[in-house]
Amino acid sequence: MSKPAKPSKTPPLLRVRGLTKKFGDIEVLSGVDLTVTAGRALALRGRNGAGKSTLLRCVTGVDAPTAGSVELDGEPVDERSVAVRRDLAIVLDDMDFFPDLSVIEHLDLFARAHGVPDAEALVDAVVEEVRLTAQAAQLPGTLSSGQKRRLALASAFVRPRRLLVLDEPEARLDQAGLEWLTERLLKEKADGLGILLASHDPDLVKAVADRVLDLDELSP
Amino acid sequence: MSASAAEVRALRSQIRTWRRGRVDTSLMEALSDAYVVVFSALVLGAMAVNVILNVHVITSGGCSSVSCLDARDALGWLFGLGAITVVLATARLLGPMLVTPAVGTWLLTAPLDRTALVRGRLLGTSVVAALVGAALAATGAALSAYPVDVIGWLTLLAGSVCVLLVAIATVDQARGGPVVRLLVWSLGVVLWLGLVLVARDDVPALLRVPAVAPLRVGVVVTAVAGVVLLVLAYRSLHLIRRERLVSGGNLLPGISGALASLDLTLFYDILVARHWRARSSVRVVRGRGSGAGALVWREVVRLRRTPQVLIGLAAALVLPYLATALGLGHVMVVAVTLTGFGAGVGLFTSLRVLSRTASLLRCFPLPASTVRLACLGVPCLALLLWSLATTPAVHGAVGGSWASCVAVALACGAASATAAVRWMTSHPPDYRLPLITSPMGAVPTSLYVSVLRGFDVLLLGTVPLLISPTPTGAAWTAGLMAAVLAFLVSRP
Repeated sequence: MSKPAKPSKTPPLLRVRGLTKKFGDIEVLSGVDLTVTAGRALALRGRNGAGKSTLLRCVTGVDAPTAGSVELDGEPVDERSVAVRRDLAIVLDDMDFFPDLSVIEHLDLFARAHGVPDAEALVDAVVEEVRLTAQAAQLPGTLSSGQKRRLALASAFVRPRRLLVLDEPEARLDQAGLEWLTERLLKEKADGLGILLASHDPDLVKAVADRVLDLDELSP
Repeated sequence: MSASAAEVRALRSQIRTWRRGRVDTSLMEALSDAYVVVFSALVLGAMAVNVILNVHVITSGGCSSVSCLDARDALGWLFGLGAITVVLATARLLGPMLVTPAVGTWLLTAPLDRTALVRGRLLGTSVVAALVGAALAATGAALSAYPVDVIGWLTLLAGSVCVLLVAIATVDQARGGPVVRLLVWSLGVVLWLGLVLVARDDVPALLRVPAVAPLRVGVVVTAVAGVVLLVLAYRSLHLIRRERLVSGGNLLPGISGALASLDLTLFYDILVARHWRARSSVRVVRGRGSGAGALVWREVVRLRRTPQVLIGLAAALVLPYLATALGLGHVMVVAVTLTGFGAGVGLFTSLRVLSRTASLLRCFPLPASTVRLACLGVPCLALLLWSLATTPAVHGAVGGSWASCVAVALACGAASATAAVRWMTSHPPDYRLPLITSPMGAVPTSLYVSVLRGFDVLLLGTVPLLISPTPTGAAWTAGLMAAVLAFLVSRP
């Protein structure tokens, strides 16, 4: 059941209007409207195949919607846009890694590419936070699926961001990882970031989300 | 308690019975369906034999100087050595003993006799290795215009050596030693030294056309040693760990899939991923700079971390000099561009990772073209420096002033680098495109051209140099490659 939306005076960071996505003749999403404001979290819920990941891919500009618009700060979202990449921290399920860079080198590279001033200190702190210190020198091919997930999530926290877009961030995390994730997302909200996440974990949604959009109710 | 060989035989027979029960195509029907493949293989095989025979005739008559004759004689040996090195390296990559993932999961975990499960594989691998090694060695010997009886004995020798090496590799797989790794490296070094001697026109007597008598002795000795070691290998089969048997079995479907879809970059990805998985961890090197500079620094770190690519590139420098020693003339520029492409493509790994999915590219707050440029700067520079080192070979082959040869060599490097970028940024065959009906089923239109990616740019860059190995030709190549590179880098 959706929580009632809290009225917000701040203009939305992300605004989606009438988003429709078709694959051939199959309509996966039909006229979805949503907004995410700074300091608030919107959770997407729905059964497998309801279109959560498709919606996130359209919202982040990875896929083009069949109809409708997606705006970040009033500008159309296109993942090729440098401004969009600077503001949007995205962790989808298709994260790839450089086979020859270690855990810490991946994060170091992202932080520096984003021009983080004291990259080394931030990276060390995040590596410790996601409990990958022991794996800092390991290559991605040798990490477990849960460790890879933590590395992917960590990549979102070593860079400047205004909106976090996470696709099932709880996937493959252990209990301690889930607790860390919940705390981290609450902190991100408190720091004024907008969060859009798709999740199957009711506890995570309950703890983090200000609003819930149930895609099952919107199924075409 | 381990089940006996008879029980394993009964189990395999049962599996065979189940499989036969599900067969919906007879062998004749399958052959009939695959008639195009069979017909093509026969035609291509006939063409290959014809080409080899023609080259045999040409090299017999056209190669008359002492240095050319020496080089030609040595190449027969070196081709054979290369053949057995390739066979051994492939055997090491795949196991040589392997089982399918299904057998690994369902049968290797059961208390069955492992020797009975994999002994057929030992025999099959030995036969395949012998045939491949013999065919490659025979081709080399024929191209070097060796007498027919020498070709025959050399072929037998290569075949028996390959059986011997497969047996050694199997024993090594069971014992978990470094023997095969060292052997592959040693054979590679010997091969390289041989090539250097030929390029220096300093061919030792050992590499001249062999006499039949020592070849016969060699065949007998290696055959006997091969049989003895095969017995040893057979007795070692039960010692091979499951993980080492399944490793090759896991790799094979990926490689087969990549080759079946003619996706060579996917094949490369599989090998690179396996290499780094085996390495497990690295000494952490912290980043430097920011923005695109951080990516450039990572490329420097990557080069330092993969010295084998640089060593391979440096070692491959012998090939252009060999082409000059063989008196290939203008055709020598093909040797430079092709060698640079083949040996240098491994420098562009990060470009490949950024091209195969967009997930990493979208993490960087920079235009895609800037990210790509930052990733290809250091590898391109390395290839250009490499090509500069081929200048004396270019000078020896095409003549002219040194400045002109520097321009030609650099243009060759530019062609190699651009072709490598094209290869690494290629997308897999697109199955969303219209499909064409073929005897092998429906295939996308981009399937057949995907295998040519990289080589098409290489051809485009090499043709002006072949026509005119002068600063004018070099300028044409540089201009064409700059345009291609700009297109490849700026693609969305």
